[in-house]
Amino acid sequence: MRKRIIIRTALVAALILIGIFLYAIGKEHKVLIDNRDISVGDITYSASTTYVVWVDNQEIGVIKKGERNAAIAIGISHKIVVEEIKSNVLTGEKHEKRFRLKTNESTTINIPAMINNANEWINKTN
Amino acid sequence: MKKQSLTKTMNPGVQFLINYAVPIIFTILVAFAIPLSGLSNEYLVREIMTRLSRDSFLILALLVPVMAGMGMNFSIVLGAMAGQIGLIFITDWQIIGLPGVLLALLISTPIAILLGYIAGIVLNHAKGREMVTGFMLAFFMNGIYQLVVLYGMGNIIPISNSRILLPRGYGIRNAISLVDIRQVLDKLIPLKIGGILIPVVTLLVIAALCVFIIWFKKTKLGQEIRIVGQDNDVARISGINVERTRILSIVISTVLACYGQIIFLQNIGNMNTYGGHSQVGVFAIAALLVGGATVAKANIPNVFIGLILFHTMFVVSPRAGRALMGQAQLGEYFRVFVSYGVIAFSLALYAWRKRVEKENERKKIMNYRKAFSQSSNTTGGNKF
Repeated sequence: MRKRIIIRTALVAALILIGIFLYAIGKEHKVLIDNRDISVGDITYSASTTYVVWVDNQEIGVIKKGERNAAIAIGISHKIVVEEIKSNVLTGEKHEKRFRLKTNESTTINIPAMINNANEWINKTN
Repeated sequence: MKKQSLTKTMNPGVQFLINYAVPIIFTILVAFAIPLSGLSNEYLVREIMTRLSRDSFLILALLVPVMAGMGMNFSIVLGAMAGQIGLIFITDWQIIGLPGVLLALLISTPIAILLGYIAGIVLNHAKGREMVTGFMLAFFMNGIYQLVVLYGMGNIIPISNSRILLPRGYGIRNAISLVDIRQVLDKLIPLKIGGILIPVVTLLVIAALCVFIIWFKKTKLGQEIRIVGQDNDVARISGINVERTRILSIVISTVLACYGQIIFLQNIGNMNTYGGHSQVGVFAIAALLVGGATVAKANIPNVFIGLILFHTMFVVSPRAGRALMGQAQLGEYFRVFVSYGVIAFSLALYAWRKRVEKENERKKIMNYRKAFSQSSNTTGGNKF
């Protein structure tokens, strides 16, 4: 009888853990991507060109100078890749960053800050 | 399960016609309707493949209660409600893709078990009248479901997603978009044959359920369910807890129906919150009966034969109706008429068989008594 209770309790606990795991890996997050000027203290990172953006290997599209685009990311770990476009041609110059989001977080990514490796390239909000 | 011995004296051809009246009528109807509809073979195959992956699970959920002698389980609607509650939660939490479907299955399982348990208890109090009780129970539970979803969600149960919440701040919208989980199972392993998408994973899941049902029949519980289905008193004398076994069969059916509804809705990609579940029982039962099943006997081939015939009829009837009468709407009416009609016809046929069977049994006993009393008279022994 006791063994049966232990097995059933373990089974319920395992199912709850699986539920939490599924929640974490399936949770949708909004990722806003800015190609705009950003000031961090005295330094200003200026948007100077157009970029093609991929989030988790999904192409989000072209973001021109001063524009914003949005992406939906699923799960915890994510990757953003931006590639410069000059005179309507991809330059091949890619910048890649990885980031993690908690279950209730959304984020705004600033491309000029990201390519300059500024700490403020990502702004997470609940 | 009791073998139908209705027409022992009839010739085998007539017996076959009586036993398979419904599938034969449907095959003839379909054979006439397909050329009238003018639909291409490719279109028909694509539609049938879609419906095969969409509906099989729900129909397979009906088999266990038939094994237990409880007839067609109209209370699978309760399982469908549980599945929809799971889908409401994952939509609110914005869990998308395959994890969303799996989480919906996980959330809805305990709800389906609870509802199945309640249904089992109620049906145990209505032995011999399980089908009509199940039908009414589905209506009753629909009221509670609507109360919970329309007033409880957002008020007592926290729901915050404005996409599914009514503007007044509580209650769920009439239609929910499941675009984020649409066909995630069906397209998990993309395979196209001749331009027709084959939902490999869904078909594998259905095949796994078929294997499970075959295996389940051979397990101890499966054997107990079959004995209960044959005769409650014999089962009780054999030491089987009849009430518990019947409850378990309804719980299994309800849980499978819950999964079936989730598979169904992930294929469609949107959900009618207040009406999506209500017709589930009728259509699944109609399809099973079209496949040649009876209230007392149903198996896996019945599921697939019925599904193909019933849904081919569904696909072709509007076009056939338009070709015949000049109105597609007529075909739509025909669908509903056929669904309810086939259930009524099968139930009437079953009742007629039972009556004839009883009459035959009675005649047999009377003849036996007559013969016995005659032999007693001639030998001078005690009268019967």
